[in-house]
Amino acid sequence: MNCELKTKERSGVINPIFTCQPAGAQFASIGIKECIGIVHGGQGCVMFVRLLISQHFKESFEIASSSVHEDGAVFGALNRVEEAVDVLLMRYPDVKVIPIITTCSTEVIGDDVDGVIIKLNEELLSTKYAGREVHLIPIHCPSFVGSMVTGYDTAVKDFVAYFAEKGEPNGKINLLTGWVNPGDVTELKHLLSEMEIDATVLFEIESFDSPLMPDGNFVSHGNTTIADLRDTANAYGTYALNRYEGTKAAKYLENKFSIPAIIGPTPIGIRNTDTFLKNLKRMTGKPIPESLVRERGKALDALTDLVHMFLADKKVAIYGNPDLVIGLAEFCLDLEMKPKLLILGDDNVTYGDDPRIKALQENVDYDMEIVMNGDLWELENRIVNEGLELDLILGHSKGRFVAIDHNIPMVRVGFPTYDRAGMYRYPVVGYGGATWLAEQMANALFADMEYKKNKEWVLNMW
Amino acid sequence: MPYHEFDCSKCIPERKKHAVVKGPEDDLTKALPLGYLNTIPGSISERGCAYCGAKHVIGTPMKDVIHISHGPTGCTYDTWQTKRYISDNDNFQLKRTFATDVKEKHIVFGAEKLLKENIIEAFRAFPEIKRMTIYQTCATALIGDDIDAIAQEVMDEMPDVDIFVCNSPGFGGPSQSGGHHKINIAWINQKVGNVEPVITSDYVINYVGEYNIQGDQEIMLDFFRRMGIQVLSTFTGNGSYDELRSMHRAHLNVLECARSAEYICNELRVRYGIPRLDIDGFGFEPLASSLRKVGRFFGIEERAEKIIEEESARWKPELDWYKERLTGKKICLWPGGSKLWHWANVIHEEMGLDVVSVYTKFGHQGDMEKGIARCEVGALAIDDPNELEGLEAMYKLKPDIILTGKRPGEVAKKIRVPYLNAHAYHNGPYKGFEGWVRFARDIYNAIYSPIHQLSYLDISKDEIPDDGGFKTQRMYSDATLPEAVKTSSAMREYTGKYDIIAELRKREYPEFNKKQ
Repeated sequence: MNCELKTKERSGVINPIFTCQPAGAQFASIGIKECIGIVHGGQGCVMFVRLLISQHFKESFEIASSSVHEDGAVFGALNRVEEAVDVLLMRYPDVKVIPIITTCSTEVIGDDVDGVIIKLNEELLSTKYAGREVHLIPIHCPSFVGSMVTGYDTAVKDFVAYFAEKGEPNGKINLLTGWVNPGDVTELKHLLSEMEIDATVLFEIESFDSPLMPDGNFVSHGNTTIADLRDTANAYGTYALNRYEGTKAAKYLENKFSIPAIIGPTPIGIRNTDTFLKNLKRMTGKPIPESLVRERGKALDALTDLVHMFLADKKVAIYGNPDLVIGLAEFCLDLEMKPKLLILGDDNVTYGDDPRIKALQENVDYDMEIVMNGDLWELENRIVNEGLELDLILGHSKGRFVAIDHNIPMVRVGFPTYDRAGMYRYPVVGYGGATWLAEQMANALFADMEYKKNKEWVLNMW
Repeated sequence: MPYHEFDCSKCIPERKKHAVVKGPEDDLTKALPLGYLNTIPGSISERGCAYCGAKHVIGTPMKDVIHISHGPTGCTYDTWQTKRYISDNDNFQLKRTFATDVKEKHIVFGAEKLLKENIIEAFRAFPEIKRMTIYQTCATALIGDDIDAIAQEVMDEMPDVDIFVCNSPGFGGPSQSGGHHKINIAWINQKVGNVEPVITSDYVINYVGEYNIQGDQEIMLDFFRRMGIQVLSTFTGNGSYDELRSMHRAHLNVLECARSAEYICNELRVRYGIPRLDIDGFGFEPLASSLRKVGRFFGIEERAEKIIEEESARWKPELDWYKERLTGKKICLWPGGSKLWHWANVIHEEMGLDVVSVYTKFGHQGDMEKGIARCEVGALAIDDPNELEGLEAMYKLKPDIILTGKRPGEVAKKIRVPYLNAHAYHNGPYKGFEGWVRFARDIYNAIYSPIHQLSYLDISKDEIPDDGGFKTQRMYSDATLPEAVKTSSAMREYTGKYDIIAELRKREYPEFNKKQ
């Protein structure tokens, strides 16, 4: 077999690809309007995640901490949750949704977060805050399980499961985007709008790219409302774009409310976008309009300019969130490129069951490795010690030094991408994303040719 | 000096004693904000944890070391690549971070075996590195792994390696400050006295509490070397593990950040009788007097004077250019712990800025005492500020610029207050004479940004000015300056390069003959 699926052999992590579960839950929580999460644990679990998110978006988002100190770690820290909820509600009159996100420390000490929420509902919320709409939602995120990806998946499911409420059919579909950027949401909504499909988008994060206004609008936040979340039970279908980020919620809605779910494939590249539209058509009965034929044509036109001249046979390594990595690999293959190494950064044992990975194993006709539970040393070690030759790296900013130190051009993609300007504004999904990705890759190769004086004269005429 | 009650914090009365306004004739004994107390949960404080105080602030700037965090990957990942502490060994410690990747089974059955495997794997991956620090995290502290025992076991089996263990879980204290303390004490207990240095000078110091942000340490080392002083070690920026094991042989500890590193200086005094001298690398006058103090201690004041004279002549005209243009602008000094008092006063004296507020996230009362003593009358001092208080303060004070962290800087941006990164700097280094000019330059460029000015215009309501297609910083900054100042040839804008550290690393130093 040419494509080998393997697990990292080392037990530890050198330069991690992912952070832990609470970060994923925090990322999901900021997508909801009038929501401020409380992370139950040490303060660093919030401070650094807020920093990470602000590095990526160049915006600040509000997330609170229960600030567990030594006494809490010894004697239990549920009193800190009670106080945190009260302080937050007193000072943020608009807040309605408060997920209580646990961490490794508070899971290890065994704080009964579900129990304290019952207590708060019965006591604090029904007395001091009687008449105010407040939703406390436990989200269990022990950091020693899964990764930020599973934390996100769990949190989306917990939000949906908490709010979803059967009512009248709303004539919409639920679109679970997974961990994406504002640019992706814009592109997805554009495709839906061309198809004349009404959708509840989880989450409405276009507003993460927030303006600097003359009247001073200081908070960036998502725009998914409680009503949106409730109404997820009344859709006629759920489309989860990512197998690993949103599927739990889609399955929940399917099991609980009999809403049929489609899971993926992640619409990265032309072919996967085609499938996305086909599935939408099947789900809604709406035709694919001429406008999208044209749009697809423009993308194909742009790609044709690049593929066999510049992109063909270029060797690529890709790391990051699993759906993104797999989607990018598929697209690269369509672009005649050769993904040599895919790194999936956590110990999810189901990667081997992913039909997309199976298809790679069956059809790739050159040597390709897919490393599970991987880290960035899996990439760098192969370059330094095992002779891996690469023309391009696709991944997030934490791996920047692999590219820098080994003079390999890199396109920043995924989360976080803090060392390049404005990446969150652009899509990787849809036809627009396909064009943008291919052109980014080509331009990265062009800049590298010029920098290294490697047939830079080729571009004299093109 | 009255306590200041924020409107947004009226509902949490315990916050009231955490902020004061400096009155005209008040003395500090009347009112000082409370400090270093437990954080109020849910207040959206800006504090970090004791793990990051130990690992991220003090541990990782050490350059020739494998830094492993024993816990799930998040602690490691989240604190990695969020600061700018460079080193002259190609930034090994910036580029590499290690986590033992503790999973559920380890929480249940213990993670000591996992730790040992990790240590061996890491040394194998980087055979040229023989030193390691291990940081405990919340999870491994709670399950009670004996990290010290494992480290000892490995050292017994691999005689060429040395391992330092820092037990500072995230929950250990109200803020990162708890971690500063723990790692200071752990280092002197475990490592100082283990290595005998080669002494090459009559004047030997440790440079302590300096983290080489954008090259600060290298700037200061340049001065010490020009004075013929041997710097045995730097705790810890650009510092070497083995050099730091020989701290006990210095004649003097020169202490920069007294918040994060006074503990080790105090212990070195108690255990080895090494005196502590607090210095300040920020600002012409504080830096000059610091170099003089060090010179005086060793009886080589003239060497300090020579440097001060040369550097001042070179850079003072450039500092003055900015001072003329920054005078009267309002600044909030909102750093982490100690820079509020490093910068207050001197930023007023030498750049003309009025300090309208100081805050500290993890400072103690002593830091506030110094900070308040040095800032302008009427300034608002806040301990452990939170999101809403910061906003309320900015609305009230209307500063022209704030110096704070990256994320709070984004909050400020939205209400159109430009920010400079107080922790990692914008275009540093900021220490040294040239560095201080770079600081002034960055402040100037932030305040007079033409784009920033545009953010006040509401194109739907305001008259859109018909005054050309561009503005320059100087069109704003020089608008009201006297002609004599504008055209003065005694002052000039900053003339240094983008990177001033690369050349410094190639510099050669004069030989001073050793007496004995």
